[in-house]
Amino acid sequence: MTVELLPDLVLCVLLLVVAWSALFASTRRDAMALFVAFGMIVALVWARLGAPDLALAEAAIGAGLTGVLLLRAARKLPVSSARRFDYRRHLGALTFIVVAVSGFAVSIILPSPADITANNIDSPVAAAMSDSGVSHQVTAVLLNFRAWDTFLELLVLLFAITGLRQLFPIEKESLEPARTWQLLVSWTRTLVPLLLLVGGYLLWRGSSGPGGAFQAGALLAAGCVMLRITGMLPPLHWSSFAVRGSVCAGTLLFLCTAVLTHSLGAGWLDYPEAHAGTLILMIETLATLSIAIILTLLVAGERKDLCS
Amino acid sequence: MNDALLSLVTPLVAALIVLTGPAMTPRRASVVVLLGSAFSLAAALLALQTVTASGATQTLNLGGWEDGLAIRLRLSPLSALLLAFTALIHLLAGLYARFSRFASGDDFWVLSAFLHTALAALWLSADLFNLYITLELIGLAAVAMVALSGPKAYQAAADYLLLSLAASMIYLLGVVFLYSEYHTLDVMQLASVSADSARTRLALALITAGLMLKGALWPLHLWLPAAHAGAPAAVSALLSAVVVKGPLFILWLVWTEVAPADLAREVGPMVATAGMIALVAGGWAAMRSPYIKVLVAYSTVAQLGYALMALGLLMSWQIPQMHIALWLFVIAHGLAKASLFMAAGEMQGTLGTRRLTGLRGATQTVPIAMFAFAVAGGSLIGLPPSGGFLAKWVLLEPILSQPQNWPWAFGILLGTLVSAAYIFRVVVLAFDRATINPPDTRPHLMGHWLALLPALIVWGMALLGEQLIGLLAGGGV
Repeated sequence: MTVELLPDLVLCVLLLVVAWSALFASTRRDAMALFVAFGMIVALVWARLGAPDLALAEAAIGAGLTGVLLLRAARKLPVSSARRFDYRRHLGALTFIVVAVSGFAVSIILPSPADITANNIDSPVAAAMSDSGVSHQVTAVLLNFRAWDTFLELLVLLFAITGLRQLFPIEKESLEPARTWQLLVSWTRTLVPLLLLVGGYLLWRGSSGPGGAFQAGALLAAGCVMLRITGMLPPLHWSSFAVRGSVCAGTLLFLCTAVLTHSLGAGWLDYPEAHAGTLILMIETLATLSIAIILTLLVAGERKDLCS
Repeated sequence: MNDALLSLVTPLVAALIVLTGPAMTPRRASVVVLLGSAFSLAAALLALQTVTASGATQTLNLGGWEDGLAIRLRLSPLSALLLAFTALIHLLAGLYARFSRFASGDDFWVLSAFLHTALAALWLSADLFNLYITLELIGLAAVAMVALSGPKAYQAAADYLLLSLAASMIYLLGVVFLYSEYHTLDVMQLASVSADSARTRLALALITAGLMLKGALWPLHLWLPAAHAGAPAAVSALLSAVVVKGPLFILWLVWTEVAPADLAREVGPMVATAGMIALVAGGWAAMRSPYIKVLVAYSTVAQLGYALMALGLLMSWQIPQMHIALWLFVIAHGLAKASLFMAAGEMQGTLGTRRLTGLRGATQTVPIAMFAFAVAGGSLIGLPPSGGFLAKWVLLEPILSQPQNWPWAFGILLGTLVSAAYIFRVVVLAFDRATINPPDTRPHLMGHWLALLPALIVWGMALLGEQLIGLLAGGGV
């Protein structure tokens, strides 16, 4: 037992305690606040596990944007009375947890022969890094080796926003805008330029270190959401070409790259080696734009934004 | 492979044009998407021709990376056939949605093109994680399309979304266990290294449970009737005809390739039994349903039982006839069900009722739609010479040749009787011309004829029977 394990132990205990209290909180508001705290602790855990990419994504999307989404959704719900936890409604989730935990526990206790022989499982990735056009392994996997997955993930966002548009069929009185709370406004004024800077940095940094389109897009979206809910940003009208164009931009560039590499180059998404780095940066830039706009619409979108 | 990729890209291009194009009215959107479907169908047919002429399955390592690093796409005669089938169903449903009087919602076009893309990506993929993403895409598009019906369908759409996400999580957990055991996600690599171990069994169980929930296979089918019955008719047609077949495809891929053969042999009878129960239980529920579309939706649960049974017997006997039977069922059911849902939608709209009893005298008031319903129903029952008959014949042949297999034949017989019962229940009501339920509006004939079209195609399948069997006879993939 070394001293270095102490922070990890604290994190583990904290994670369980916060998860438990989020599940069993007496009011909805407490549960949501605890959920955001839970997201932040998960981000810390990822950072401790040496996965800063995941930590950034978790902090930005899991804690930040999801938290805003929950709070906004709660405003539309009736005030909840104290609820009792009913185990029967959660049997499926409980079974899932038991199976998952026992499966992982068995994996740790009894490593399969393959684990021992293939100790260094990312060796094919490491071997191919020099041809990938970037120097960070996660980016190389996401944007080059398994670029098709990332392309389809961008489509997931596009599908989600098109789906969300179906939920505003009737003209309804939208919520009264949040009271312009002066502290929030000044905080937003300070934070948004910083978010823009950090988002741009993460995007640029992605080719050589942790970062990249999803993290940068999520941060930019966080800035846009703050501007949108304080009323400093006018509604993003779906009918405007700029909005629809930026929603589709990442997908369009990715698709064009795929089709052009296929018809003129070596094959589907087979980047020419000399230009791989530039291409990846271009795709990431437009993808960041698309992700930022789509996440903003998903979190802060109202009828004004999506159906006019 | 070129043609297959073209077939995948065209609907996506159509969707992006609809999303970004200036002044895109629903009418223009419909033209773009229908053209996309037609091109996609042509490309898929070309791909089918190339792959059957060369006789070999083609693979493509995306990005040109070596096996294990790249995602592999695979074009086999089966995937080419499914590409063509998906494009055909989208074309038929699109034509119906375009010309029918009953609106499907403005965003039907972009969503159906999205769904088409996701399905095409699924048929071509040979990578378990990539398949997971395609499943997510299909689920999202399908949920959004259920919500096209407006607020009354939100409950069904929300349930569908939550169950679909839960199913994805379960599937993904299984994939994680497989990856931690074998360090690869590629189906062909997994096929060569997989062995019978506790972790593999757990992984396969999780993957199977997730896919059965996604594909509404008995006993995890309870979300299906509400979602499929709540959607607009053209959407229901797409959901029942192609969407539930996606998870079935992955299930087939996992159990015939990834799973060790001995394990598959062991599990096969259980899967086949689930299929047999689905046949009877789904048929029974359809027979007792008071609503037209719910009846048709439960009939999907029952008909998927045939496919599940063919899959189970394929796993336990490992004979190519079952492979042929499975995919013939999928195609015949898809076409017939598209027709049934469109006809049900037309009758429901024209007669102004969702209740089955409202169909009294439908042979007189909405004769063409009713004819479409009966003809498509005939294929579900398996009357010769329809596609349903062809599939059932291929399925029954190896079962009847061995006396110890006769219990399975009994199950199929029971299933056939139940499907005949629920189809004839509708037909009998429709011939009750003594107490006619008068239509609200004059029937809109174009929609009725378009509802009949898939049913005619499924009866025409018999003409292509030999080619289809020959195409699928190539074996596994």
